[in-house]
Amino acid sequence: MLLEPGQQAWCWSKHKNERNMNDIRILLAGNPNVGKTTLFNSLCGVHQHTGNYPGVTVEIKEGKRQVNEHSITVSDLPGTYSLSAFTPDEQVARDALLTSRPDAVVQIIDATNVERNLFLTTQLLEIGIPVVIALNMCDLADEQGITIDAECLEKNLKVPVVRIVARTGEGIEELVDTIIRVTSSKTPGNPRELEYSHSIATHVTEIGAFLGSHTSLPGNLSPQYAAIRLLEGDECLEKTLHDQGLVIPFIDTSDPAERDGIAEDILLARYHLAEEITTCSVRCTMGRVMPADLIDHVLTHRIFGIPIFLSCMWFAFQLTFSAANPFLVGIEQIFGYFTEVMNSIDMDPFVRSFLADGVIGGVGSVLVFVPNIFIMFLLLSILEDTGYLARAAFVMDRLMHSIGLHGRSFIPFLIGFGCNVPAIMATRTLQSRADRIITIITIPFMSCAARLPVYILFAGVFFGAAAGNVIFFLYVLGILVAVLSALIFRRLVFKGEPSPFIMELPPYRRPSGYAAALHMWYKGREYLKRAGIVIFGGVLVVWALATLPAGVEYGSAESLAGIIGEAVQPLFAPLGFNWQLVVGLIFGFIAKEVVVGSLGTLYGGEEMLESSLAADPTLTPVVALAFMVFVLLYLPCVAALGVIRQEMGSWRWTGIAIGWGILMAYIVAYIALHAGSFIIGA
Amino acid sequence: MVPLSLMRTGDKAVVRAIQGTGHLAKTLGQLGIIIGIELTVIQKANQSVIVRIGESRYALGAGAASMVLVEAQK
Ligand SMILES: Nc1nc2c(ncn2[C@@H]2O[C@H](COP(=O)(O)OP(=O)(O)OP(=O)(O)O)[C@@H](O)[C@H]2O)c(=O)[nH]1
Ligand SMILES: [Mg+2]
Repeated sequence: MLLEPGQQAWCWSKHKNERNMNDIRILLAGNPNVGKTTLFNSLCGVHQHTGNYPGVTVEIKEGKRQVNEHSITVSDLPGTYSLSAFTPDEQVARDALLTSRPDAVVQIIDATNVERNLFLTTQLLEIGIPVVIALNMCDLADEQGITIDAECLEKNLKVPVVRIVARTGEGIEELVDTIIRVTSSKTPGNPRELEYSHSIATHVTEIGAFLGSHTSLPGNLSPQYAAIRLLEGDECLEKTLHDQGLVIPFIDTSDPAERDGIAEDILLARYHLAEEITTCSVRCTMGRVMPADLIDHVLTHRIFGIPIFLSCMWFAFQLTFSAANPFLVGIEQIFGYFTEVMNSIDMDPFVRSFLADGVIGGVGSVLVFVPNIFIMFLLLSILEDTGYLARAAFVMDRLMHSIGLHGRSFIPFLIGFGCNVPAIMATRTLQSRADRIITIITIPFMSCAARLPVYILFAGVFFGAAAGNVIFFLYVLGILVAVLSALIFRRLVFKGEPSPFIMELPPYRRPSGYAAALHMWYKGREYLKRAGIVIFGGVLVVWALATLPAGVEYGSAESLAGIIGEAVQPLFAPLGFNWQLVVGLIFGFIAKEVVVGSLGTLYGGEEMLESSLAADPTLTPVVALAFMVFVLLYLPCVAALGVIRQEMGSWRWTGIAIGWGILMAYIVAYIALHAGSFIIGA
Repeated sequence: MVPLSLMRTGDKAVVRAIQGTGHLAKTLGQLGIIIGIELTVIQKANQSVIVRIGESRYALGAGAASMVLVEAQK
């Protein structure tokens, strides 16, 4: 969502009513990539997405944990370095922290990087909500010889500190007990607060007194705290107050340079406190070894960086296909067996058609590609867990910059190869609205896993041995169209430069095979569920349309499907698509796999699909190519469309994104058709 | 004082000033890239750099790196 300053992302008031004594609401907050979601998963027994780079979680997720009579509602927030919030995902976190009034905030701190994490702590302690600190990644801290005196931390911060290892669940029981203890004692505690210099303290008192007597603050911020936020430069709050017509002392009367000076003093005071506390509670017993520096030196090299990245991609691409092949053959055999069994059983022809054409033909032709999709998810998950993804973004930044995109957009692009929906959500980590809009418009050109079945089917039938290259070409083509679109939008609509690249690089971590497999399983299962519901549903409709009206030959031009297809087909005549393909495209809007499913249904079953396609005189390799290009580019699926609307926050931009996709699809497919014929003809 | 974008791999430096006051400058501040902090340049690719500050590593594109003015340390 594209929030303007002053707009609030989350309204929690719905939670406030009807709460009983034993209901506890907590927020998990902290810097990016410290293990908030990992903790959330262990606390609530769920499987939200985690990954080793900042900005994995971009929206609030809620879960529950029942402990004896206490029912704890846990909200996992996006990571944030501070409460200033310059990106939409940070704004989501800030708004939840400032306005939702939870019973406690659990700050997860990375035990290997305490000082930087404490900066946020100094801000959280001021809000006036009880804070519990969860010192996470204690396993890594031990490994690196970092010892943390939790008691000293506790004494200095005056809030409870619990050591945990979120990945293994160590210490979680104690954390839960602490949360219950803190929230049941009705006193808010007395946390360590920043001691401001005399001049800042005077401003805080002055502004606080003014706010206290002139307005009621949003989200029940205390006037003192609101004053501090204003001095730190909270534009959102300032705008809200200005909208009420208030003239705030100091904020509106001093010159900007003086205000900046104060903001800077507060910033430094926070760091100072963080440093002071770290010095007395964190010891490092081992000399620093920095193997990561060396790895970084190679992987992000000025010259080798990009070739290394491309080789990784090429390798992953090859693996997706070769490793899936044995499974593919197996699945085809199973379907072949089903078809045989069915043919040998005596049954009503209507039922037979339903089973053979509808179920096996439609759904079966999609399920065949499940192994490819599983492997793709596995590779993406490994990529996300190693820490390389953030480096890839850095390596690509210059290139991205030159086509008018932010280097960080590269991460959504890569995620987009799995599925466009989370990719579009991931644009929330970008600061500038222009960068976000251009990225969202171009993400649908990243060929998601759902489009793969279409390519495998058509390339396999029409290009034989060259199929692999054709598919690779399609992925590259998608990227090229994205580049072109970005250039056009940057030059013509959002003139100017993309905002500069700043990103924290996560430490390299050995990806856990178990975690990656688990992740693949959950993603794959989602895909299977979709195949079960959406694809099955879509395919059934196509089957019904191909059967009705009663008496027509199944799947003929006289059936309803044929009538619809032929009515729209003239639009696609320049591209050479027959009516079956057009029906596939229409239903492919539900989900791209349905393209294959519909064709499976129309062309008489999974077994028959390939041979029928090959035998259809209206289909030639160039038409197949144009069709694949069209499927690659034309429309995001319904789900992606929904998120585009949500993140764009405007129907106009949603419309532009869709229209642009269709336009590109038509033009590029047309070029592909003619260039293809020319090459083959020559 | 020179912009961080002109440092070389392996250089150590102390931040002396952050140019600009917009969101970008503030973002740098929140990451701990503040005046007086010591950093090590661990990669330099064209004008972009990767720096290490304490336990954290940050990648800065050319635009961001040129906003940070540093003084080289021996
Ligand atoms: N060794 C170890 N790794 C952990 C631990 N907790 C989390 N991780 C890893 O740290 C990485 C980040 O975890 P996430 O849970 O995605 O972090 P997050 O705080 O939700 O990150 P954002 O959503 O980006 O803010 C993942 O690769 C986890 O597997 C831990 O206790 N020990
Ligand atoms: Mg997370």
